[in-house]
This record gives sequence, C-alpha cells and structure tokens, in this order.
Amino acid sequence: MGSSPHTGPIVVSGTGMVTALGAGVPANLEALLKERTGIAPLRFLETRHRGSLPAGEVPYNNEELAALARPGEVRGWTRTALMGLLAVREALQGSGLDPKGPRTGFISATTAGGIASTEPIYHRFFEDDITDKELQYLGTHDPGEHAERIAQELGCRSIVTTISTACSSSANAIMLGSRLIRHGLLDAAIVGGTDALCKYTVNGFNSLMILDPEPCRPFDASRRGLNLGEAGAFLVLEPMERARARGATVLGVVSGFANTNDAYHATASSPQGDGALLAMQRALDMAGVAPGEVDHINVHGTGTENNDLSEGHALRRLFGTEVPQFSSTKSFTGHTLGAAGAVEAIYSLLAIQEQVMFANLRFTEPLPETGLIPIVATKKTEGLRHVLSNSFGFGGNNTSLLISAP
Amino acid sequence: MKGPVHIIGASAIGPQEVFDRDGLEAVTVHDGHPMKAIEPDLIRYIDPVRGRRMAKVAKYGISNALNAMERAGVKDPQAIIVGTGLGCMESTERFFGPLFQNDEQLLNPTAFIQSTHNNVAGQIALRTGCTGYNYTYLHRGASFTSALLDGAMQVGLEGAERVLVGGCDVVTSDYYLIQRRSGLWKQHQVRNVDVLQDGTPGALCGEGSAFFVLDPGQDHRGSVRLVDVDMSFNGEVHEVAHHIQERLERSSFDPQEVDLVMLGYSGDAASDGTYDPVRALFPNATVACFKPLCGEYYTANAWGTWLTWSALVSGRLPQEIILGGPARDRFQRAVLYDHYLQRDHSLVLLERP
Repeated sequence: MGSSPHTGPIVVSGTGMVTALGAGVPANLEALLKERTGIAPLRFLETRHRGSLPAGEVPYNNEELAALARPGEVRGWTRTALMGLLAVREALQGSGLDPKGPRTGFISATTAGGIASTEPIYHRFFEDDITDKELQYLGTHDPGEHAERIAQELGCRSIVTTISTACSSSANAIMLGSRLIRHGLLDAAIVGGTDALCKYTVNGFNSLMILDPEPCRPFDASRRGLNLGEAGAFLVLEPMERARARGATVLGVVSGFANTNDAYHATASSPQGDGALLAMQRALDMAGVAPGEVDHINVHGTGTENNDLSEGHALRRLFGTEVPQFSSTKSFTGHTLGAAGAVEAIYSLLAIQEQVMFANLRFTEPLPETGLIPIVATKKTEGLRHVLSNSFGFGGNNTSLLISAP
Repeated sequence: MKGPVHIIGASAIGPQEVFDRDGLEAVTVHDGHPMKAIEPDLIRYIDPVRGRRMAKVAKYGISNALNAMERAGVKDPQAIIVGTGLGCMESTERFFGPLFQNDEQLLNPTAFIQSTHNNVAGQIALRTGCTGYNYTYLHRGASFTSALLDGAMQVGLEGAERVLVGGCDVVTSDYYLIQRRSGLWKQHQVRNVDVLQDGTPGALCGEGSAFFVLDPGQDHRGSVRLVDVDMSFNGEVHEVAHHIQERLERSSFDPQEVDLVMLGYSGDAASDGTYDPVRALFPNATVACFKPLCGEYYTANAWGTWLTWSALVSGRLPQEIILGGPARDRFQRAVLYDHYLQRDHSLVLLERP
C-alpha cells in the first residue's frame, strides 16, 4: 500500500493559527504570556445571546479575515474556510513546505463546517430571487467544503480529507497525518482544523445547558460550563530527517497518540474517565514514555461539570498522587471545537519552545472529588520535554497526543 | 501493505434490494430521482419505537454495521471508521427549523446531539461496546475512501483485527435542492436504467450505505482480499489512466488479468468522459457501472465497493449495468475506479483469495 515506512520521529516544522487571542502564533504566545484572555462579549456573531453568553471570538470580521488570508478566488469563502486558510498560510510560510508536492497531504477537521456563513441567509437558498452575493455561499456548509476549497487554493494533489469527531476532530487530524507519514503513504502533511462560531453551535450547546454565562472556570469547584470559541489552527508534519535535510526548523515531535471511545453515552463522558485514561495510556505507551516522565498536560478542561470531573478522575487513575502540572488554555480561547486539538497542540509546542507553562485562568477552588489544582499563573520552567494534550468529545471520542522536545 | 487485508463480511442498503444478501438478484427501476433507499425490515437491529426518532443515516449505518459483523461472525470490532459526506445533515436541518423560526428560543437538544457528525460511529461503539479507535470522515466524495484507507492501514500495517469500515449518506430535502441549484442533479426525470444514454449534464441523486468488516484472515465464505486503496485530489483528467497504471504496477496487479472493472459512470455528460480512458486499460475485463443502481452521492463508492465485492463472492452481476467485455459467471480480480465531480478520485483493488 505505501512506500517504505518512516521509522524515525515525525516532527512539526510549521504552525499557524488564528484564535480569540489574535492572528498568528506570536500574537497567541504574547497573550498567553501576559495572561490576557480572549473570552469577551460577542461582537460579530448575530445572535440573541450576544449580551448574555461570552465567547472566544476571533477579533476580525469576514472582510478583515479575507484581507489577511488573501484567497485567490474571492467568492464563496466562508468564515470557517478563511480562518483555516489564514492558519495554513502561516504554517506553510514557517515550514517552507510546498503544498503542491505529489505526496503532501491536507487533513482538516471541523464540526460545523461553513454554517457560520450560510445560516444568516439559509432560507434564501430556496428562493427564486436569490442574489448573486448570497448565491456564492450555496452548498458551503457541509463539513468537507472548506477543506476542498483550501486544498484547491493550495494546489494539493494527494490525500485530502476532513475529520469530524466533535471536539477531538483536529487532534485526530494530527494523528492521521502522523500515521500516513509513518507508514510511508505521505512525505508531509498539513493537518489541523477550523471552526467558526455560529448560531447553530451556540444554541445547540445552550440547549444542552452547558454554557457558562460568565467566563469559564475549568477545573474549579464552582465551574458552570464552557464558553465557545472559534479558531483555525494548522501544523506541518514530516519525518525528522526530511525536515532537517531541507533546513526547516524542527519545532517539536509528535511522539505519541491514541484515539479511544468511551462507548458510554452520546454526549457525556464516562464518570471515571475510562476512555480518557485509555487514550492517555496508549499515547504514552506508543512513545515509550512513563507517566512520571510527563512534564505538563494541556488538559481538555472545558469547564463543564461532567468533563472536568471525568478527566480529573482519569488523571488521578493514571498519575496517582503525582499528577503533572496542568492547565486548560480554553480559559483563554474558549472551546474552539473542531479546531481545539490543533490549537492546543500548538500551545503545547510553545510550552516546550519557550519553557513556559500557561495559566488556567480564574481558578480558585479544586473539585472536592479529585483535589486537583491546575497552574494558576503563567510561569517559566526548565527541563520541559514531554507535554500531553487531551481532546475529548461527543460520541465518547477521546484523543491524547504526546508532544515532545526535538 | 505488510499484511493481507480481507473483507470478511459486508452489508448494504440502498435504492436496490440488497440488505443481508450476497448480491443483487433483480434491478429495481426508479422512474426519477432522488432515488431513495428501499428500507428493509430492520427490527433485528433497531427498536421500532426508538427508530421513529432516529435519523435515517443512523438507522441505515447502525443496521449495516451490525449486519456486516453478523455475516462475518464477528461480535467485537476493534475499530469503527465511518465515512459520510453529508453526515448528520438530516438532524442539522431538523435543528435549523426551530432555530430560525423561533428566534433561537425553546430549542430541543435532541436534534443538536443527533446532528453531531460522528453520531453514527459513536452509536455503533455504544451498540458493540467497542472502546477502540473511532473515526468519522466528512469530506465529500473522499469520505468513504478515507475510511477504507484508514481501515486498510489499521489491518494491513498496524496489526488490527475486525475493523468495521462503512459509508453512509441519506439525501436531505434541503441539500437535494441546494445541490440541484448548484447544477449537480438532472433537472428532468429519467429512468435510472437509462441514465447513461441521457447525454445531459448532471446526475441522478441517490443515497445509501454499505459497511465492511476488514480482517487479516480469509477463512470466511465471503472473503475478498483488499489489495490496495488509493485516493487523490483534483487529478488532471488526462493523467488519471497513467496514475491508475502506476498503482496497479506497485500492487503487482496485471491489467491483463483483471476480469472486472467497476466504474463510476453517473450519466453526467460533463464528467463521465473521465472513465473512458480507464476502461481501455483492461482489455480482458467485463466492464460495469454502479451509479445507475444507487444514484450519485458523496459515498456512492461504498456502495460500488459492495457491488464489486458481491460480484467476486457470488459471480453475479445484473445485465443492466454491464457496459462491455465478455460475459462471466465468475470473477477473480476487480478494479473499482470512481471520481466525484473529477475532484475526489478513488481506486480500490479487490481479488478472490
């Protein structure tokens, strides 16, 4: 099926992102270091919940995003696709990778696809007097549309696909890209995800009553739910020897990964975090890293009653009394759903590069059930080598990635 | 692939009566489109009371998954991989209604939960107690191919056993209209069995589902070896045949020995020409097509894979879909080539063990 497998490490040679903390990895790093949250009242999304539900909204309207992302053909770019393209361009620029390579893949991830741009005019798609301006978004809300569009813009020719496994989607894109390279089916892969805030997800999560009307407090006893966010985040993956041979900067190694399923409930995580535990264990086993060698965890940490309790139990079960220092950066970005795994993988890489652990904002009191205390203030550290990044989602989907120093 | 990969059980639902069978006995003629799936009695797999609240894509997907496992004699899959272009759009549209009409108030979360696109794979995990790998691909015409490639990697390169791989799509009322407006569907009605002679742009819209159990072993009545899966994006039409030739060579699959070529002719005059040069690569093969039976949809190639599997297992192919080459009652080596709007290209090589 493939050519010869790559037995050496699969590394990250480029990263790009746009989140509520800003466009570009440097802007994100700066906000994380200064503990400046991106969670604020909604400014762009048209919804009746604008005044009542804070969110991690990307601080640009669609015209501004288009000016930053510079798509060649201007028609029909949804907010989701624009955020994705912007992140991809930054990752490619940093890595110097040619996306047109015959064995370069493009793997995206999303939950809502282009709905942010179709929902305001949805009824118009079925009316005879639809305008040309509205018509450009016809058929752009299925999840694969944004990835097809970005792949076309980049000139990709090889494996192009999209994963939608709820909140673990883009962590799974990173995992798939790593596997395809490892098995020799690809030489390099652009992997990540993009999800724009929309009425659809805001109301969906609101109907489940898991949105906090205040800025979220992951792993806090008083937590009341999550804040939604939006983001595009992509990474360039390739074998270490290939990155080195072409003089690319090696930002870190994807040293372990695993995906499991709770097989417990459609939306809730199992109470003791069985799937989460299994995912973390398998990711560590694959890397040959013992639990005691994990230096830091970027937890899933949504701030919901259910997730933080379940994930906390899984952490206790795997690490016992020696749980590594951890934080939920969703307290900065909100939960960016299909993009979250890639956003947090990039933050994990930043933690290693900068030797820093980012704060879990607004924490005051641990859960009585687990007693776990996250990192309350961003702080410098040393010897940070292995960071575990967790992404868990609806459908019982659990993914853990182990990101290591090169 | 390092180790062999076999399809050891398969199950399909679609606009033809094929559920829980090895092959298609008589072609169902549809006078127009969208060609809806013929819903079999699913009482063995779906509680009828719960079934009324379930989206069709979930009903078909879960039933096909469980039936394929049963036919393979498998109870505990190690991984579940689903490809679906539209995903749970049926439930998305159900949530859209009150969302837009009630000004974002009084919303019931059920449709939202069911609209999470990995709902089908998640439900199958719940039904089978499978705590292993669970992926869902939603990438238009590449959705099923991605799932099949992933499953082949799991079994052939990563040592997995009993991997459930499927494709499912159900046409929704809104997306049918949206895609019709985009020019994907024929504006007039034409019988499915006559669609290749229609000569106008656009295809007949269809829907369906097909699931497979992949395993290294071959000791099953319905075992067929999956030799290779290939997917590519936006290939130039004039390069397609050359690309396929290269893949065949790498798999030591001699075109002279291929006795069945299954192609994705849909009746779309704008894109069907891509298949002609591929046909010419296989001088000794029986040439057949599958989309006149199932219609065009994002994961139609899952159904095409099922039909190719069924031809290898049963030796039968309906006369209505044979386009040329010698008549046979036994097939040994098959090639399935399909593209979706000339963007998502897929190649599947199958042979009897």
